[in-house]
Amino acid sequence: MTIHRTLLIFSAIGIAATANANSLISPGPQAKIARSSLAASPTYEWNKLRYRGGKNVEIWTMDGDDLNKVTFYGAIPVGQPIFREANKKNAPLPRVTANMLITDIPALLESTYRVQLNTSQMNIDSQEPTLVAGYKGIKFTYSFVRQDDEVQRKGEAVGAVVADRLYLVTYEAPAIHFFDKDVEKFRQLVTTLKI
Amino acid sequence: MAHRPLISLSVLTLLSSSPALAQTNSTTLPTYTPAYEPRTVDERGLWMEADEDERALRDSPLVIRDEALNKYVRGVLCRTVGEDRCRGIRIYILEVPAFNASMAPNGTMRVWSGLLLRVRNEAELGAILAHEFAHFELRHTLAAFKHQRTASDLFAWAGVIGGLTNTNVGLLQWSLVGSIFRFSREQEEQADLLSFKYMAASPYPASAEADVWQHIMAESDETAIGRKKKPRQHYIAGFFDTHPTPLNRATYLREAALRISHGGDSNSAAYYQATAKFRPLFLADQVKLNDFGGTEYILGQLASTNGWTGDLLFARGELYRARGNPRDLVSAAQFYGDAIKTGFSAPEARRGLGLSLLRNGQVTDGKAALTEYLLMKPDASDAKAISALVTN
Amino acid sequence: MLRLLVSGLAAAALLFAGPAIAQEKTGNKPGFTLQPGTVRIILMRPSIRVGAQSTGGMFEPNADWTTQARENIMRALSSAQSTLGNEVISYDEGTTSEGPLATQYGNLFGALSNSVIEYQFFVGNRLETKKRKNTFEWGVGPELSRLKSLQGADYALFINTNDAYGSTGRKVLQIFAAMGGVGVTSGIHQGHAGLIDLRTGDLVWLNADRQMGGDVRTQEGATKRVAQLLEGFPGRPVGVTQQPAK
Repeated sequence: MTIHRTLLIFSAIGIAATANANSLISPGPQAKIARSSLAASPTYEWNKLRYRGGKNVEIWTMDGDDLNKVTFYGAIPVGQPIFREANKKNAPLPRVTANMLITDIPALLESTYRVQLNTSQMNIDSQEPTLVAGYKGIKFTYSFVRQDDEVQRKGEAVGAVVADRLYLVTYEAPAIHFFDKDVEKFRQLVTTLKI
Repeated sequence: MAHRPLISLSVLTLLSSSPALAQTNSTTLPTYTPAYEPRTVDERGLWMEADEDERALRDSPLVIRDEALNKYVRGVLCRTVGEDRCRGIRIYILEVPAFNASMAPNGTMRVWSGLLLRVRNEAELGAILAHEFAHFELRHTLAAFKHQRTASDLFAWAGVIGGLTNTNVGLLQWSLVGSIFRFSREQEEQADLLSFKYMAASPYPASAEADVWQHIMAESDETAIGRKKKPRQHYIAGFFDTHPTPLNRATYLREAALRISHGGDSNSAAYYQATAKFRPLFLADQVKLNDFGGTEYILGQLASTNGWTGDLLFARGELYRARGNPRDLVSAAQFYGDAIKTGFSAPEARRGLGLSLLRNGQVTDGKAALTEYLLMKPDASDAKAISALVTN
Repeated sequence: MLRLLVSGLAAAALLFAGPAIAQEKTGNKPGFTLQPGTVRIILMRPSIRVGAQSTGGMFEPNADWTTQARENIMRALSSAQSTLGNEVISYDEGTTSEGPLATQYGNLFGALSNSVIEYQFFVGNRLETKKRKNTFEWGVGPELSRLKSLQGADYALFINTNDAYGSTGRKVLQIFAAMGGVGVTSGIHQGHAGLIDLRTGDLVWLNADRQMGGDVRTQEGATKRVAQLLEGFPGRPVGVTQQPAK
């Protein structure tokens, strides 16, 4: 291989690496979130992560996903897990099922986290009914610790099952300082949700 | 260009060590030097890392600090390996719902809550703790570390030299990787056999170790069946296995046990009592792992020792309701009902019953059970959500 | 064979001579200055790992080196800070039994610095909002001041440094590898250091370096390393020698 060709290949790789970078979410209407009919209209700027974690999953953050993280799950159908399984054979994830009750939504999230994210401590702290984009759904709060970084985190989420598909939006951040810092921005986002 | 690999297979003999496997007729314990201080550079390095890890462990949110439970587990270790050996060992119980325990070269022992859920009596707990202690006594981590370094050095060299001489060293590298894992298996066998000696000198039956492996295998079969896979228990350890396969282990341990026929009391009742406070938490953590077959097996084992008590029936209800097929929801309702009949008073039983019925289309009965739940626990964290289901 | 060697070396040279990728970065809270004089800085237990990198890339922890490095770094740090008039004290939980909370803050500092490094400092995964000029908004919140074991101090300094010295085998391998056109790095020398204002919890300064110099096993090297770690430290003192980066 000639030296020139080697150089060309490296520069080509350089260009490709910047193509799918993280992007900016400006205030205003955002459509087709998580490759679904989900839409929202933030009044603040957010960053959208290039990394997804699933076909119908989208992640927004202010300071990085370990510090604050909004995850959108769009139209997950019956029979599918909420994220891509890391090890389908030995650690299969629970699936969205037909006739899910609203209280089954936090249970699905919890079980998914325990199996795939090494979350050996998790608790659903509160659950109440709410309207999500006009549909009957659930709002719930939770707390958890992952074995990999042992940071205590809190979460707040809304979810609903519409036409046999699960729509869920979660906000998670460390319990110290970060959760409170941006929770209102998340709540604002939720008020503008459309399915 | 030469096609002979530059590193011949004779190098592999450097790495193999023949374990003294068959000395199970002797049950005398080696002399033990407590307060050992690490000497070589490698050893001190490993101890230092272990000390730093222990510092982090001490304040970790995952540690279960209940005094009574910790005292009990420590007591079992001391009864098994003897007071001399257990002095100075620090035990940490971690909330992790899998079967495992480990020991670091500086005397830190970690026990996962999944292990406490699965062992059926004191003797079985003692057997596992003894096994971990044996690694510590045999200073295995150091030996493993040295071996891994030698093997990975060769791996790197093989790759470089192969590149220089355009030789395919693929096969050689593969067998080097294999040797890392095989050494680990030898260590596990050595630890099993030393721990067997501890058991023989303890008040516990020598067969306990073999028993544990037996039912761990059975659980793993059930997990596979639950996932519609074929259960299989190998006799020969697979290439990447770091532990002799459970079947292999159970077999050689059972043979050793028969040879000395040492009886003893497994102390099931004491074990059940000592772990009662945490069993609901450990069961809940297990149920949420989406392992239907394995969890059913564990529940069955607990029931065979102590009968289908309310807490076990409740957990079974939770398990079936989580899987949620129409037939499962019928079974779940039955289990919750049975739990209530045995006098299980936690309001969550009515919650589970109500949700199972509701989901299966039995709306009136479902709502009735949920209403009872709300009356029993008006300040429940999900009261508002459950109310919505009732008034819908 | 000679031709192979030459072109191999040339290829290797190109691999390393590529576009200049920044290996070191400092961030400061805009407008922040540290008044040298009567400042008390608590050094959180530094995470210092020193060992050898075996031929196969495995880290061989070396307790003597680490202890030595820790002592050297502490000494170099005290000396660098005292020329500023700052006092550096080691964190001590004492009898406050704040262990678990202090650990949570420690874990959080880790997540914080990793986020700064991942999402603001180095090209690859930066967030748009963090790329803007004069942006450095990071912190762990004012509740940090409630930790009794930090009372009386003004700032907390945390340092992580990770050294794996290429063992002889690795260095030899490196030469051979270069001949074959295969790139093998020898030695890992990374570190980051951050300063938190204990009243507000703000991260006022973070320095991250993926390729640090200075052999921390020697006093001289530790001094150099500390100088690198403290690069851009607010209120840089007069008299500490400015060394070139490597």
